[in-house]
Amino acid sequence: MPEGSASLQQLAVGDRVVYPNQGVCRVTAIDAKEVAGQKLVFVTMRREEDGAVVMVPQAKVVTIGVRKVASPEDVKSVFAFLRSDSDKADLDWKQRARTNLDRMTQGGILGLAEVVKDLQVLSELRPLPTKERELYDNARHLLVSEVAAALGTAEVNAEDAIDIVLFPPGRERPKRTAAEFARGDEDDLGLEGDLLGLDGDLDLPSDEEPASESDEESSSEEGGEESEEKESAEESAPKKRGRPPKAKADAPAAGGEPAAPKKRGRPPKPKPPEVEGAAPAAPKKRGRPPKPKPPEVEGAPPAAPKKRGRPPKAKPAESED
Amino acid sequence: MIRVVTLDPFDDKQLAKLNRTLYTAFGVGSEHSGSAEVPAGIGDPLDAEKLLDQVKGIRAYQDDKVLLLTSRKLKERELPSGVAPTQGFARQGKDRAVITLQPHKDLEAAFKPVARQALHQLGHLWELHHCLDPRCSMYPPWTPSFSQGEPIFCTFCREKSEQKIRLAKS
Repeated sequence: MPEGSASLQQLAVGDRVVYPNQGVCRVTAIDAKEVAGQKLVFVTMRREEDGAVVMVPQAKVVTIGVRKVASPEDVKSVFAFLRSDSDKADLDWKQRARTNLDRMTQGGILGLAEVVKDLQVLSELRPLPTKERELYDNARHLLVSEVAAALGTAEVNAEDAIDIVLFPPGRERPKRTAAEFARGDEDDLGLEGDLLGLDGDLDLPSDEEPASESDEESSSEEGGEESEEKESAEESAPKKRGRPPKAKADAPAAGGEPAAPKKRGRPPKPKPPEVEGAAPAAPKKRGRPPKPKPPEVEGAPPAAPKKRGRPPKAKPAESED
Repeated sequence: MIRVVTLDPFDDKQLAKLNRTLYTAFGVGSEHSGSAEVPAGIGDPLDAEKLLDQVKGIRAYQDDKVLLLTSRKLKERELPSGVAPTQGFARQGKDRAVITLQPHKDLEAAFKPVARQALHQLGHLWELHHCLDPRCSMYPPWTPSFSQGEPIFCTFCREKSEQKIRLAKS
């Protein structure tokens, strides 16, 4: 059963309630209606922020998670929670998403504060992805409006009251590293990477974020320390990609002349020895060489020009019948 | 439309520069719409909430946002969790905000922090909440790094403000 919903059995018109994920509403009517042949009692609520109206069957009010607005004492406990030095945030995004969803719907005002606090702590490690940034904004909006309703103050004062705790005046937020978020029970077996036969170079995809958000997450998933270490290692010994260089078999002996750089491609043809005094060779003409002309016989008639086309059919020999 | 109303004398060139910055940040027109008097009975330091409620003589349309600019100090607010340093004040989703030059002397010397404060309070008028990004103008204004940043929004806050402005227009 959601927090604060125990006393919802006696809802009356004019009560202020909180509808999960929607905000502070006021009960405007409780009346019976006939829907599909059934008579049901509906609770009509109007959201204070924009006047949106929602009708809920009275039997479903508790299961939906509708609850009374928090009391000033609850708000004090929220401030105490926000002031506490929490540095635990779940680095597993699936687990975090599930937990935050539960907190938003069933957790009451303290659940909203937990979502805000956890995402704020996480943002000190790396920028939040878009979905979680939206979740943070929603949770903050719901928390601010409920604190304002509980204390009877303006929303801007409620927000400043929350943020004075989250962002104390005169202090900057600390930068966090992934090591601070590591759980103590992760290394219970005491197995080092060498014992497992892994040297840590496996290029496995991170299980932290879904594929759509990988570009936002890839840069800072493992925190600053690891990436800095990797960077420094790369600087000292730059790792070359591709085929390793061949070993030089004919390395010049010490003191010997260095071998001329080997030219690539077909070696040039050896030139024929030039004879002194001979006429220089005519430049070689390019293209097909001309056909040799048949020797002309003096006095013979000039050859008839060759006819083009199909040669005429040979006439059949005439019989003498 | 953003209307800048001065409660004390300011340099016209600096006001024009401030208007240009606001226009760049929000994408809506911004102009200096004259000056107004601080209501009698509000002594120094000025109570921002009373000032917004009681100041008169401002002509604006229904969807205009009015930014009051003063060089006098604003009173710090007592909140349930502590005292909030107040260099500006705006109610969420309403139409009036006030900012002060304090602790700076003039607008020319402290243009960036004042412009950033103006963006912050106008952002509240368009229902923006405080942001986690220290470079964004919606970052809590009492943090040490706030006055050193540029008068800009982060992507999330800019998109949200554009969405709110579009909704207000339609």
